[in-house]
Amino acid sequence: MDNKSNKLIVLAVAGLVVGGWGLVDRLLHGLNPVAFGSVIPWGLWVAFYLFFLGLSAGAFLVTILAYVFGLKKFEAAAPLAAFTVLVALLCEVQFILLDLGTMHRAFYQFFLSPNFSSLMFWMMVLFIAMLGLYLTKTCVLIRGAVVALAADRTCCYRGLYRFLAFGQTAYDESIRVADQRLVRKLSWVSLPVGLLFYWVNGAFFAVVPGRPLWNSALTPVMFVVAALLSGGALIAFLMLTLRGDDAEGREVGLGLGRAVYYLLLAFLLLELTQLFIASTSNRPDAAFALERIITSGGGLLFGVVHLCIGSLLPLVLLRGGASSPKAVIWACALIVVTFVAFRFNFVVADLAVTRLEGLEASYVHFRLSADYVPNLNEWLVSLWVVSTGLLAFVLGTRFLPVVGPLNGGEFHA
Amino acid sequence: MARQPAKEDSLLRMQKELKRAKEKDQKTVRWIMVIDQAKCAGCHACTVACAAENKLPPGVIYRPVTEHEFGQFPNVRRSFQPRPCMQCDNPPCVTVCPVTATYKNAQGVTVIDYARCIGCRYCLAACPYGARTSDFAEWHAKGVPTLRSVTAGGDWAAAGYEEKPAAEYSKTWDPRSDRNSPVGNARKCHFCLHRLAVGMLPACVTTCVGRATYFGDRNDPKALVRELIGSPRVMRLKEEMGTKPAVYYLV
Repeated sequence: MDNKSNKLIVLAVAGLVVGGWGLVDRLLHGLNPVAFGSVIPWGLWVAFYLFFLGLSAGAFLVTILAYVFGLKKFEAAAPLAAFTVLVALLCEVQFILLDLGTMHRAFYQFFLSPNFSSLMFWMMVLFIAMLGLYLTKTCVLIRGAVVALAADRTCCYRGLYRFLAFGQTAYDESIRVADQRLVRKLSWVSLPVGLLFYWVNGAFFAVVPGRPLWNSALTPVMFVVAALLSGGALIAFLMLTLRGDDAEGREVGLGLGRAVYYLLLAFLLLELTQLFIASTSNRPDAAFALERIITSGGGLLFGVVHLCIGSLLPLVLLRGGASSPKAVIWACALIVVTFVAFRFNFVVADLAVTRLEGLEASYVHFRLSADYVPNLNEWLVSLWVVSTGLLAFVLGTRFLPVVGPLNGGEFHA
Repeated sequence: MARQPAKEDSLLRMQKELKRAKEKDQKTVRWIMVIDQAKCAGCHACTVACAAENKLPPGVIYRPVTEHEFGQFPNVRRSFQPRPCMQCDNPPCVTVCPVTATYKNAQGVTVIDYARCIGCRYCLAACPYGARTSDFAEWHAKGVPTLRSVTAGGDWAAAGYEEKPAAEYSKTWDPRSDRNSPVGNARKCHFCLHRLAVGMLPACVTTCVGRATYFGDRNDPKALVRELIGSPRVMRLKEEMGTKPAVYYLV
C-alpha cells in the first residue's frame, strides 16, 4: 500500500510541477491564455467541474442504498465515500474559481449582492452545504479511530492524530452512540441536499433559453443520474482496489458494481432519448448541436470514447462479470475516466450553436469563433487541479482511517 | 409647383428629442432604438464608431453588423442587420447573473456593474442574441514595435488609446491592464449611457451614414422612434422567446 501510494504521490507532485506552469500563467495573465472565448464561454474547465461534480455523488449513492433501500452493508463504504466527496469538491471549486474572469470577487460578491433568482447562486449555497455536511460527516465517522491512533504511543504520526482529535483522548460507548446518531441525522439531511445539488447543477443549464439540448426538463434528471453513475463507479472502483482483499469490501464493491450497471442503463436511455428528440425535432439548431457532439474530436469523443469505451464495454463487463472484482474494477474505471468526454460534449456542443445567423462572420476574431479546442494552458491547469485531488486523496487514504474498518465502530453512510 | 419645406434631418430631430427627454422625470423615459434595414448600407461605420467610443479591445464587440444574402444569381439581394444589445424588457441575462452585477436601469437599459461582475459568463451563455462578449485582456497595440515613438520615448499609441479607460457608464475606471475591470468581465452595448448623460446621441446613431439608426424615448408621443415603431414594417428579433427587445427593425 505504502509503495503504491508513494508512486502515486510522486505522480501527483510531478503533475503539480508541470501543471504549475499553466497555473502561474493563468494567475498572472487572467483568462488571456485560454482558448475559449465569447461564443464558447465555457470550455474544458467547466467540463472538468461537471466531471468532479459527478464523482462527488458516490456518497450520495451509498446513502441512498443504505437508507432508502435499507441495504445496510453499503454503510461500510461510508467513510471512503464521504472523504471522496471532499476531494471531489476540492477539485470542483478549483476548476470553477479558475474559470472566473475576476475570481477574487467570488469570495465576497455572492454574499454582498446575491441574486436569488440565479441558479448559480444556489449552486454556491448548495456547494457550501455539501462541503459542511461531508466535512462534518468525515470527521465524525473517523473520530473513534483517530482518537485510538492519537492514544497509540507506537504510532509514527501521533501528533497529527492528536491534532485531528481536537484534544479528545477518550472514545467511550456513549460518544460512539452519539456519533452514530449524528451520522444518521447527517445522512438523512444529505439526501435532499445532495439531490438538490445535482439537480440544480442540471437546471443551471436547462434554464438557459434557446439552447437546443440543454433547455429541456430532461437535463436536471440526467444530471442526477449521471452523477450517481460516475460517483458510484468511482466508489466501486476504490472499494475493490483498496479493500478488495477483505470480504466486506469486496461485497460492497460488487454490490455497487451492480447498482452502477443499472444506472448506466438508465443513463444511456436518457441520453438516447435526448439525442432521439434532437434528431427528429426538425430544428436546425438541435441538428447542429447533435452534429457537433457526434463529430467532436474527429468523431472519436462521442462514438469511441464515450459510447464504446465508456458505456458499451463497461455494460458488457458488468453484465458478464458482475461477480468478478477485476471486471467490475475495469468497468468502473472506464466509466469514470471516459465520463469527462460526455461532460465536454454536453457543455461545448450547445454553446457552439449560432445565436443569430451571420453573427460569426460579422466580426472575425478567435474569441468570437465557435471552433474550440482546449489549448496547452487549459490542459496544464487541469493537470494541476487533478494532481491536487490525487495528492489529497492519496495522503488522506494513507494517513486517515477512511479505508479500513474502524476499531469496534459501526459505519454509517 | 409649391416648394416643400425642407425636411429636418433625423439626427437634428433626435437631438432635440433627447434634450426634451433629459428635462423629463427620468423614470418616465424609456430608451429604444429603431434600425431601418432598408437604409443600412452595411458600411460598418457604427461598429467602428462603437469600438472607438468604448475603446473595445480585440474580440469584444457591441454592435456587429450581420450580412444576409438571398436568392441566386442574378436574382440576388443582400441585406444588413446591425445587432446592438436588445436591452430586453425581460432579459435572461439579468435573471441568471448570480451577483446582480447586471440589471435594468430606470430608463430600461440593461447595464453591467464592472466592479461587481465575477466573470462567470453565465450571461453570455444566456443571451439569445449573442450580444455579450467577455473581455479576455486582448490588446490592439501590444507588441507592435512601430507604435513606439522614438522622439517621445514612450508607447504613445497604446497609452493614448488602449490604456486610458473608456468613459463607459460615466465612471472613472482604472487604466486598462491585464487585471483591472472591465478585463475579465462581461461587456455589452449600453446605448452609450455616458453620452446620453451629457446630451449626446449614441455613437452608432451619429455615425450612421445612411441615417438608418434611430434613437429616442418610447414614452414621448412626439418622438421619431414612436412614429417608426408604428410602421407595418416593424419587427423585433426572436420575439417568440418573450424577451421583449427594445430594439426594433424596419424590414
